[in-house]
Amino acid sequence: MQKATIQPLKDLEMFLAADETVDVDQLIPLPFPYEDWHDEPIPGLSNDQASRIESGPDGVCAAQIPVPPSDEARERLVAKFLEGLKKLLTRENNWTFLQPLLLSMDNCVKCQTCAEACPIFTGSGRMEIYRPTFRAEMLRKIVDRYIKPGGHVFPTLRGNDIELSWDTLVKLAELSYRCTLCRRCAQACPVGIDNGLITREIRKLFSQELGIAMPELHEKGTVKQLTVGSSTGLNPAGLMDVMEFAEEDILEKTGINIKIPFDVEGAEYLVMHNAGEFLSWPENLQAFAIILTLAGISWTLSSELVGYDSVNYGLFYDDVQYARVALKHYEVAKKLGVKKIMVGECGHAHKAIMPVADRLIPDELRVRSESCLVVLEDLVLNEKILLDPSRNDFPVTLHDPCNITRSMGIIQPQRNILRKIAPRFREMEPHGVNNYCCGGGSGFAVCQSLNFPSWKAKVSGRLKFRQLLEAFSDSIEPETKKYVCAPCSNCKGQMRDLLSYYQAWERTGMLYGGLVELVVNAMVDVREGFIDWDFH
Amino acid sequence: MAETVLMTWVGCSLGIFIVGCTWRILRYALTPVHLRWDLYPVAHEPAARREHGGSYMEELNWWAHPQRRSLAGEVLAMAEEIIFLKAVLRNNRRLWLRSLPFHWGLYLLAVTTLVMIPLSAGLAWRPLTFLLQAAGLGGGGLLLIGAAGLLFLRITDRELALYTSPLDRVNLGLLAIFGALSTAVASSQSGVTGAASLLASLATGRHAAVTLLLGIQIAVGGLFIAYLPFTKMIHFAAKYFTYHKVRWDDAPRTEDTRMARRLQSALDYRVEWSADHVQTGSTWGQVAASMPDAPGKDTD
Ligand code: SF4
Ligand code: SF4
Repeated sequence: MQKATIQPLKDLEMFLAADETVDVDQLIPLPFPYEDWHDEPIPGLSNDQASRIESGPDGVCAAQIPVPPSDEARERLVAKFLEGLKKLLTRENNWTFLQPLLLSMDNCVKCQTCAEACPIFTGSGRMEIYRPTFRAEMLRKIVDRYIKPGGHVFPTLRGNDIELSWDTLVKLAELSYRCTLCRRCAQACPVGIDNGLITREIRKLFSQELGIAMPELHEKGTVKQLTVGSSTGLNPAGLMDVMEFAEEDILEKTGINIKIPFDVEGAEYLVMHNAGEFLSWPENLQAFAIILTLAGISWTLSSELVGYDSVNYGLFYDDVQYARVALKHYEVAKKLGVKKIMVGECGHAHKAIMPVADRLIPDELRVRSESCLVVLEDLVLNEKILLDPSRNDFPVTLHDPCNITRSMGIIQPQRNILRKIAPRFREMEPHGVNNYCCGGGSGFAVCQSLNFPSWKAKVSGRLKFRQLLEAFSDSIEPETKKYVCAPCSNCKGQMRDLLSYYQAWERTGMLYGGLVELVVNAMVDVREGFIDWDFH
Repeated sequence: MAETVLMTWVGCSLGIFIVGCTWRILRYALTPVHLRWDLYPVAHEPAARREHGGSYMEELNWWAHPQRRSLAGEVLAMAEEIIFLKAVLRNNRRLWLRSLPFHWGLYLLAVTTLVMIPLSAGLAWRPLTFLLQAAGLGGGGLLLIGAAGLLFLRITDRELALYTSPLDRVNLGLLAIFGALSTAVASSQSGVTGAASLLASLATGRHAAVTLLLGIQIAVGGLFIAYLPFTKMIHFAAKYFTYHKVRWDDAPRTEDTRMARRLQSALDYRVEWSADHVQTGSTWGQVAASMPDAPGKDTD
């Protein structure tokens, strides 16, 4: 099969073709008590898997692209990719992001200022294929060579001499799933280039033209959500069972009898949770129910398809699917006649429902939306719920979800709450708008297939785990129980996997959870001990 | 004859520059409205929020509060970027040490060139000539140091070299040469007065004498100006859009009918994407309101 040749940046071609796996000895080192920590290499695909599924230049597999059956099929896919690339650059097919894409494609000065900002590049020990500009540069070369007029003129001089093949494309597709779209690189870029956006556009082109996307995002994500009701597979009947169980659990744990409201027309708030909470972290849903009910807020959940699951994985890979889910969210809210949407503890749902949907939802469906963090801040700071912070007398640090902070500028409310309810709250560095991604962003948290979980624990989450250890360095011993507050479902999914991989409970006594759990844990009207330290 | 050729070259370069810049700016300005893609900190937030990178979405019922936008914040942020290259300073000091003289050199030379035309009549006044000479020397010198430093770094530093094409090196080399030539021209008073009268002749059409050195400098400068809009060196214009129209474009939708019209025309575009789940041929509005067809990978 023909290999890609990237001239004159010869070495880039080398990196792409090298099929070099992650060298675990080069991963960024961890502090005490992990000096002796040893990572096993990321396992390769089995022979059987490799015969059926393509993998990336690092041997890792996220997109799970089937191996094409013939050379003709490969050629057809390459041609189709080029068709898609043309569409990506047209207003009709890409009005949604054409301006930012053109700006980012045309104006990168290759200064590499962004590289240091990327947690995956630095966390991996500076693997070239993970550099923020690497994928962008590949796409740029393909555009310059195959799409722009005169692309074949002096390609070597202009750095455009890439020969396109299926092999190159597979690697590009896979590499688009080695970036969490955290946009930390964009924040550092002096020109304002957004390599995260370019990565998303690459994913989008593969999805919208070739039907290639990480299955957890597409088939098991947006498609399932739009047809079954939730990407978790939870249908409305199952939802009712979950709620019944949640009510019983609340009563047992807190002694409070709460009826979780559904489909209340005209309520003040339609609360939209990531349905992953219902199954994996029901205490989060319960804590919301306790707080909102005891604070006397008029609220409701929806039992309509899609309405009970705030996720919108389209945000990570596909504009068509994004638009469908976003529209459905607003249709549900409008039909119920609620005054506002309150987005629960889910970072990407915040961004999908609030700023990004702002220019998509037609006037007749518009409903105001706001963050649960802002509502909670009002309740806590204005003492609309009674709190005893001494109940939270253990070290707490805050993980900032990128979509809530860097992409939306909601920074202080969650801190103001923690300062009020957690006397031993400390920041990790860097934090707030400059935070590091947990390593599970852009859908990685829900991908549990093949060797990808090993990669995200060792590589994309490495820097975050180091931050956690540093934040708790004054009390790292396992006897001191400590809490990582991560007000986002996907971040919690990644925290679960990270803490489990690094045996953090055994070695450091570190537990993770949401923000509302901490609030309820401090509520005077609730029986003590809402946070269950034995469940880790 | 040589002067005429030179002046024609300069005139053409300027023409190409203006057309090229206009084309480039229109390429971005005429794109349809895009979905919001804010990136914080946003410079026009009031100072108290700007400091921590906050937004109006930190407020309860954010839509009920008047939008406070600090123009001073934007101006300050842009000035820091343009004058001090703050993002590079913060994140890449090694590059900044070369990039700053490079940019300052270009700014100084551009300003000197522009003021030369109206001031050419007063060049008999020694202090003015001296000032222009100092600016030319400083600008040329800084450009030479910056461009040579950047070129050296882009050749010797592996991480930069990987992403530097031969053409990028040629561009930097050319700019270093232009810096050296500008320094040489500005090193004598006659060089400065010669350059000023040549530039003034562009406006007046009067004949001006040209030395060989000045001729080469103007020829190289013209070449640079002419191809600038077709390279990524035009990022100074793009930066307006990346900051103001993408990162800081956080304005929530209001009853703005113009925005509604722009959105409607975007939703009326026909979708040509051909994956199975897209309803190819329908408008964006129709596709968004539809359900996906059965999933399937198009790789067999
Ligand atoms: S994306 Fe920005 S920071 Fe990174 S190399 Fe390009 S211009 Fe420099
Ligand atoms: S978006 Fe985040 S993960 Fe992706 S390249 Fe930029 S910094 Fe790295």
